[in-house]
Amino acid sequence: MAGQDLKALADRAATEIAAAADEAALEASRVRYLGRKEGALSEATKKLASLPPPERPAYGAAVNDAKIRIEKALEAREAALRDAALARELGQEREDLSLPPRRVRLGRLHPISQTMREVSRIFATLGFETVEGPEIEWDYYNFEALNIPPGHPAREKWQTLWISNPLGDDPSRPILGRTHTSPMQVRIMEERRPPIRVVIPGRCYRYEATDAIRESIFFQYEGLAIDEKLTMADLKGTLYAFARQVFGSDRKIRFRVDYFPFTEPSAEIAFDCFACEGKDPNCHVCGGDGWIEAAGCGMVHPDVLRRVGYDPTRYQGFAFGGGIERIAMLKTGAPDIRLFYQNDIRYLEQF
Amino acid sequence: MLIKVPVSWLREYVEIPISIDELALKLHMSSTEVKGVERPWWGEKVRVGRIAKLAKHPNADKLLLATVDYGEGRTKTVVTGATNLVEGAIVPYADEGAEIIDGHTGERTILRGKPMRGIQSEGMVLSSKELGLGEDHEGIRILDRDLPVGAVLREVLGETILALEVQPNRPDCLGVVGIGREVSALLGTRLMEPALDRLPERAPKGLDVRIDDEVACPRFAAALLTGVHIGPSPTWMQERLIAAGMRPIDNVVDITNYVMLELGQPLHAYDHRQLRDGVLVARAARRGETIRTLDGIDRVLPERTLVIADGQRALGIAGILGGEDSEIRADTTTVALECASFEPRRIGRTTADLNLHGSSGSAAARRFAWELSPEAVPLALARACRLLREHAGAQLEGVVDRYPQPRPRVNVRMHFSDMPRVLGIEVAPEETLDILRRLQFTVAADGDTLIATPPAVRTDIAIAEDIVEEVGRIAGYDRLPTRVPDGPLPLAERHPFEDFRERARDALVGFGLQEIVAYSLIDPAWLGMLKADDGDCIAPEPLRVINPTTVAQSAARSTLRASLLDTARRNLRQRTSLAIFEIAPVYIPRRGDLPDERTTIAILLAGDASPVKEGETWLVGNRKWDVRDIHGIVQGLADLLRVATRGEEAPAPGMHPGRSLALTDGGITHLIWGQLDPRVAGMWELPDETFIAEIDLVSWHRAAQTVKIAPPPRYPAARRDLAVVVSETTRYADVEAAIRSAAGRELESLGLLDVYRGAQIGEGRKSFAVRLVLRSPTTTLADADVDRVVRRIAGRLQHEVSATIR
Ligand SMILES: [Zn+2]
Repeated sequence: MAGQDLKALADRAATEIAAAADEAALEASRVRYLGRKEGALSEATKKLASLPPPERPAYGAAVNDAKIRIEKALEAREAALRDAALARELGQEREDLSLPPRRVRLGRLHPISQTMREVSRIFATLGFETVEGPEIEWDYYNFEALNIPPGHPAREKWQTLWISNPLGDDPSRPILGRTHTSPMQVRIMEERRPPIRVVIPGRCYRYEATDAIRESIFFQYEGLAIDEKLTMADLKGTLYAFARQVFGSDRKIRFRVDYFPFTEPSAEIAFDCFACEGKDPNCHVCGGDGWIEAAGCGMVHPDVLRRVGYDPTRYQGFAFGGGIERIAMLKTGAPDIRLFYQNDIRYLEQF
Repeated sequence: MLIKVPVSWLREYVEIPISIDELALKLHMSSTEVKGVERPWWGEKVRVGRIAKLAKHPNADKLLLATVDYGEGRTKTVVTGATNLVEGAIVPYADEGAEIIDGHTGERTILRGKPMRGIQSEGMVLSSKELGLGEDHEGIRILDRDLPVGAVLREVLGETILALEVQPNRPDCLGVVGIGREVSALLGTRLMEPALDRLPERAPKGLDVRIDDEVACPRFAAALLTGVHIGPSPTWMQERLIAAGMRPIDNVVDITNYVMLELGQPLHAYDHRQLRDGVLVARAARRGETIRTLDGIDRVLPERTLVIADGQRALGIAGILGGEDSEIRADTTTVALECASFEPRRIGRTTADLNLHGSSGSAAARRFAWELSPEAVPLALARACRLLREHAGAQLEGVVDRYPQPRPRVNVRMHFSDMPRVLGIEVAPEETLDILRRLQFTVAADGDTLIATPPAVRTDIAIAEDIVEEVGRIAGYDRLPTRVPDGPLPLAERHPFEDFRERARDALVGFGLQEIVAYSLIDPAWLGMLKADDGDCIAPEPLRVINPTTVAQSAARSTLRASLLDTARRNLRQRTSLAIFEIAPVYIPRRGDLPDERTTIAILLAGDASPVKEGETWLVGNRKWDVRDIHGIVQGLADLLRVATRGEEAPAPGMHPGRSLALTDGGITHLIWGQLDPRVAGMWELPDETFIAEIDLVSWHRAAQTVKIAPPPRYPAARRDLAVVVSETTRYADVEAAIRSAAGRELESLGLLDVYRGAQIGEGRKSFAVRLVLRSPTTTLADADVDRVVRRIAGRLQHEVSATIR
């Protein structure tokens, strides 16, 4: 057999092996070509000794080449057959994947927690640090330090739950459930020097009948920024940036006159209605007005600054406050503020 | 304070060349919150019409054909029987489909065109009755000839009422004239103040006033009026009072109310016959002094109460409530008219003392609680005297006006540059001056300096920022740009406790628990339902709400447990599985200080443990929560937060005595976990197997350890399992402690595999199968090393807990 014959042999073998239908056919091919006794290549190898020495190396190499090609073909076909068998087998292991999964227990944050985090997160992007403070508060911080002395008519705006201490009350220092988060303005300014940028979320209390939009125990967020050159335009821009992050980037903002004894000038901010954009006279979100009143705000009153020892000719700034539940309700369409506090899991697990 | 301003009344003092909706928006944005615009109910189809032509009805003597022009060249022919029409008359016209009142039934009805004696009537001209404005149904209501033909009638006639929420800094806006002043400034139209009578200088004979307390009563004036005829007040006045929400009484009382609604300043009229010694005195009530007030109640006056008295007795509570004795009667002919100024906080305190606060208080008291200007006193008195002369036949005998310490006028000295300093925008000096003048400020400018003097009725102006607000609001805040603060960012402080708390919150949610947020004020009776016996409450005596809205919210909770059990009770009515937690402060009273608001975690497990949808047991079986679950959650939380929960074990009140644990450290119980006392569970309609945990997060935060990060171990671990047989009474904790102390540093972990009881080990004994994992940081432990450690452990166990090792 000459070198060309060996190559032809290898070609024939490769074709045959590639067509082997199963393991048995493959084994038959292996015996036919590589079998020790009658394999075609064994025959060729035996022939080597009968060749004249100068022809031997070339012939030997040709035999080896043929052997390697055949072995590779066998390996490849064997792998292919194995894969096909495995694939067939896996195909048999069919599960009904429409059966329910083995479930994990799910817990969720309460919508109030979610909203407070959202408010803190957004104000953090504007450089406001989140701070907290006492819910049970001195009359001084809740009212007096904010220009609302006893008997001030503005106290009617903040109907108060007065608190009695079982270890004894001091009539000269009444305590109360803070009616807003604003006392923290004073506490923060007492502790720090400008520049200040803080946001204070927290629970507040009012002596008030409850209904679908009002609770006597509720959460607010308060903002305070004090520096040398802050203006009402900065206040407007800050709340605008907040509104856009909460309710969408195409929101508009509106300021109208309002009154708080501890800010001057004072304003109320409203956002244009994200639900109807002022186009639906029966809108359930804005009531058809096109605007959603969101927070009270203003420039911190010079008397408040003076009381904490700041020089109002050098420092000025702004403050704002709004309702946490209101944001949660507007964003999610939650229908009734009281449902937040009934803690019916069927309600909470929707948030 | 909500006030109602009839637009027709407002128009008396100021021109309003824009629609009421536009006016309302301007007021809302720049002046006073508009709560609503209350309109007549007439729709758009009721308009101002003009009788263009009158002709006889061809088929009926008593009927007329009126051609009505109702604007933009539109005309309709109507049939009418009215006799008071002339060509050119301005009348209310209702088109077909309009809602009107049926003149016969008095009910509202929809107008339908109908033929009358053969001629189609295409609409209707209306009587007062058909508009609901009165009983007159004889003739057509003839309107003011200046009304614009074609205008929607409700825009120009009838009481369109502005409901305004006036803020307490603006007592000047408590009268219609005050609102007129705002409108005049907003629209740039002229303010026409009401006509007054000039008050005479002379003091009247038989009437004097005296102020005993100048702080409580800075100004006190009174007029003496004779020849008064008591009777009803004119219809227009009654209509206005009704529209503004007051009930007409008689001409004298109505006039005092009318002037109050007009100028914001209350007045009080006395029957002069009842005045002893002909004097009115503002003085403090005497000890035990009593009075029968106009509401028919006999009141003992608190001692500091300011009263108006005559020479002998209190006649009324100053500024708040008149007395019955001296009220105006049908036969009153001589009236002493009081007009005074009171210190608002005293008024506020007295109304509170007498429980007349809020909307239940008198209209006068609510106004006096605000800082009315003493300058309004002579104005209101003069106005009332004029109206009494015109409508009650009164003759003014004289006036006495005590004002011992007249208030100096406020002059605010400031700079034009204060506008950009505060508002962030430039307002031209000319515009600033124009706005202030429109608001009736007196202004003087010199370079950048501005001196502004508010009108006498404005008591809210004191500093530059007040003037900035006036200019800003009238100029309009929509002119402000939206800017974000620049300048250096303040260095934010760290809040390790809050971070720790939020990690705990996330961890518990991650464990599959639902967070709840319950009311922080609870029913104090709940605290009594947390223990089965009559011992001390499990929590400190709570702070109480002095004026609760409901007893259910009258104590500041000193434990979260009651809220948790209540939430569980309500939820378990409709579900079989519950795993909830709350993180919130409890309020621990402190003597002479605000309470300690201690952040606490409360966890509750009840019912099915399987993490499945309600009712589904697929692949998980139907396991109930048990005490190991609550322990696992507590331990998992402690591990995640890296808290070493140490302390002395103590009984946990309110908990199952054999299946609960409290850990105290330094006198503070920082952890309770286990099964709720089934008797307590029963009180809350909860299953016997209810498991709770409470964690004092402040203590845990203190006990939290900072981690030292080390690379993973380099040498292999050796594992060895032991069976430790002990008496049934031996606790696992003691076994574990013995093993740990004997094993030394090479014990990496110790796990309990199983607890076995059975014949093989004998009665009264149990076997803990434990797995030791031993590892050296410096070498691979040989079997001989491990054997040595195990021998040491065995010896220690034998010695300390009498264990045998198998
Ligand atoms: Zn809307």
